[in-house]
Amino acid sequence: MLPDKLQALVRLLARLPGVGDKTAQRYALFLCTADPAIARELGLALAGLEAEVGPCTRCGHVADRSAAGGLCAICADPRRDGSVLCVVGRVQDLLSIERSAAYRGRYFVLGRLLAPLEGIRAEDLPLERLKALLRDPARPVTEVLLATPPSVDGEATALLLAEELRPLGARVTRLASGVPHGGDLEFADPVTIGRAIAHRRGVE
Amino acid sequence: MPDAVALDDRRTSHVALRELVVERVRNLDHLELEPAPGLNLIAGDNGQGKTSILEAIYLVATSRSFRTSRLAEVVAHGASVASVRAAVVELDGAAAADTPPGYVRHQSLGLDGARRVLRLDGEPPVSLAHYATRTPVVVFHPAELELSTGAPAARRELLDRVSLFQAPETSRHRAAYARALRSRRELLRLGSGARELEAFEAVLAEHGAALCRRRARACEALALEATAAFARLAPPELALGVRYEPGGSPDPELARAELARGRARDAGRPSPRFGPHHDDLGLTLDGRPARRVASQGQHRALTMALKLAERACIAAARGLEPILLLDDVSSELDRERSTALFALLGAGLGQVFVTTARPDLLADLPTGTSFRSFRVARGALVPAGG
Repeated sequence: MLPDKLQALVRLLARLPGVGDKTAQRYALFLCTADPAIARELGLALAGLEAEVGPCTRCGHVADRSAAGGLCAICADPRRDGSVLCVVGRVQDLLSIERSAAYRGRYFVLGRLLAPLEGIRAEDLPLERLKALLRDPARPVTEVLLATPPSVDGEATALLLAEELRPLGARVTRLASGVPHGGDLEFADPVTIGRAIAHRRGVE
Repeated sequence: MPDAVALDDRRTSHVALRELVVERVRNLDHLELEPAPGLNLIAGDNGQGKTSILEAIYLVATSRSFRTSRLAEVVAHGASVASVRAAVVELDGAAAADTPPGYVRHQSLGLDGARRVLRLDGEPPVSLAHYATRTPVVVFHPAELELSTGAPAARRELLDRVSLFQAPETSRHRAAYARALRSRRELLRLGSGARELEAFEAVLAEHGAALCRRRARACEALALEATAAFARLAPPELALGVRYEPGGSPDPELARAELARGRARDAGRPSPRFGPHHDDLGLTLDGRPARRVASQGQHRALTMALKLAERACIAAARGLEPILLLDDVSSELDRERSTALFALLGAGLGQVFVTTARPDLLADLPTGTSFRSFRVARGALVPAGG
């Protein structure tokens, strides 16, 4: 029904997260019928992606490969507090924490969580790189904040990391969870309310 | 009829369907129903779609079916999508039944194969538990004799249905417990080292202990109501005992230690010997296990008592009388007990749907009871008197 070239494009687009066959088809048809400049620019951006952008050599966040030392903008920023290290599962989680503007330390991106059901084991986590960061006498870290998601895999990953990192001397903390700001308590998810109550604080 | 209260003399608040629209659910191609706020009788021969109407109500209220765990089975043969829509009102006990005041909530469930799409007033619900607790509903169908005679799984489900209303996070603990259980089994199968096992066992112990505490609480409430209901349905000299028999522990530290100790034993087994997946609800008659000593009639009365207790517990936790769905009750109870049941039904209940192949059952209703009756044949409503 569609030319082979276009069908190949549909198949590629359908491999993107959250894109099904119908959406992939819509994108492909748009690209070949709309202003050809869009497809050309997109193609150039995609072709150069791997050469130009890669993981930060220190934390695993995305970084410009041409940057000094291959560091991301956060690791290269001297105003960041290097004594606190926040460990997240994915780059998206790092971006969520950044949007809050509540955290001024540095990060470490695991890239994956322990998930034996998906075949992801402890040896698949970048544990040695993380430990090397904590052992670096030039940049002492006094606190590791574990910010993996509150799922079975995220909790197990945090527990494993806590056991592995504690002997290195830094204080290990876990992200508290609370009630969403501006949200109606009635509609807040019960696990969140439960945790908010379990970790309640005194009123100053 | 002794101490039967007329259905219109309702005192507690209750929830009621005002409108139901069913599309392609089982053999119901298209069906619209405007039920009464009180008692509704659905009559028809076997295989005509009576139970499917109750199933559709249960689906739109809870997002689940009481007949199958595979939702794709619910979609009519030859169709790819099915849906149930309902307009629901919360009625105050003081208000007149015919002029329902207040707010009408619209709920809908769409099924595209096994995929389900839920809407509350047009919006996706914040969580499944939130959706499933808006319109409380309790179903009693013949297969539920399992509760008293069958394996523990059905009794754990009963505890969890009550827990869902007492503490909605129960469903999250249950799902997390199941995933952690499978993760541990996989690690044992792979001969994993202690550090990964310890991490998943800690998560397993945490959610298992939370589940245990919630089920203990649900059982406490159920036991109180079930023994009272049983006393009204069965000979008064027979005492029912209802007790939570935990397979795990409410203490996560103890559970962790137990799991660590059981690793060698659990390797190669489908599930560990320790944990709330072995929970049961112990039922006794005069101190002896009901499963061994109860007669067929006593099993029926016991099951009915448990269902009435479920209704009472959910009403207390939610502050609203649930909708009661009674499928084919006449086949399960002899005349004497169905009379007792109808007397109970009359005692200040909310909306009730009863299906029956025996319309003569109406003779057992307390005099003066108002009801609406429907007749179903080949998946459609046909005009009926009443």
